[in-house]
Amino acid sequence: MIDRLCDQAEGKDIAVVGLYCDFLSHQEQSITNMLGAILKQLSRRGEIPKDIREAFQKAREEFGGRGLQLSDLVEIMKKVIASLSRVFICIDALDESTPQHRQELLQSLQEIVRGSRNTRIFLTGRPHIEDEIMGSFGKVVRIPLSPTRDDIESYLEMKLSRDTDPYAMDDELRADIMRVIPEKTSKM
Amino acid sequence: MATGNVNSFNVLTNHNNIVNFITEIDTEEHQILQWLSPLEPQRRHQAVRTGRLDSIGNWILETTQFREWSDREDGYVEPLLFCCGSPGVGKTYLR
Repeated sequence: MIDRLCDQAEGKDIAVVGLYCDFLSHQEQSITNMLGAILKQLSRRGEIPKDIREAFQKAREEFGGRGLQLSDLVEIMKKVIASLSRVFICIDALDESTPQHRQELLQSLQEIVRGSRNTRIFLTGRPHIEDEIMGSFGKVVRIPLSPTRDDIESYLEMKLSRDTDPYAMDDELRADIMRVIPEKTSKM
Repeated sequence: MATGNVNSFNVLTNHNNIVNFITEIDTEEHQILQWLSPLEPQRRHQAVRTGRLDSIGNWILETTQFREWSDREDGYVEPLLFCCGSPGVGKTYLR
C-alpha cells in the first residue's frame, strides 16, 4: 500500500508515511515513539521543519534533550501536515499493539485529522478492532480483505518456483497443490 | 603480555572514542530525527517489500472505497480507511 501511494505521490507535494505495529516491544510502542516515528518520516523530506528544530533546541536546553510531550507532538504534527498538500499515514497491524497504546494512537490521529482536510489514514488489522476505531473516529470506510482465488494461485506459483528442492516434487503433486489449496482456502 | 593487553585496550578505547566523536559531530539533522523517535519503520518496510508478490491484492486498488479515499481532494471524503481481515490473509503485503 505504501509503495502504491508513493508511486502516485511522486513529484507532488504529497507525503506517505508508515508504521508497523507488529514486532514492536511494549516499551517501543509508546505513543510518543509511534507518533514520533511518523513525524520523523515527515521531517525527512528535505529541510527539518522549523517547529521541530525549535522544540529540539528548547528540549536540549531544558533537560538535556528530553523527548516531546504528546500534546506538543500533536501540535507540531498538525503544522507540518498543514504545510503539505496531502499526507497519507499507513499503520499496519494496529491490532497487535496493546489496547492502551491503540486507544492513545487512535485518539491522537483523530485529533490530527480533525480540522485537516488533507490527511488520509490507512489502517490494517483484524476485524475486532473496528469498534475501537469507531469509538475514536465515529465513521470508518471498511474494506474486508480476503484473498481471491487468483491471489492464492499466484502466491502458490511463486512459492513453488522458489522451491529449494524442485526435483523432490513430481508434476502430479504440483498439480494437486495447485488444485486443492485454492479450493479449500476459498471455502474458508 | 600485560603491556599487550593494555595496548589493545587502548586501541579499543581509541576506536570507541573515534566512534563517539563521529557520532557527536554527526549532523544536527540526525540528532533531531533520533530524538523524535528511535523507531525505524522503513526497515520493516524493506523486509515486507522483499517478500511481496506485486500482483496480489491489486483488486483493492480498484475499489470505489480506495479510489475515493486516495484521489478525492475535497473535504467530503472519510479520512479513514480500514482494511480488515483474519491473520495471514495478506494485509501487510498489499502493494
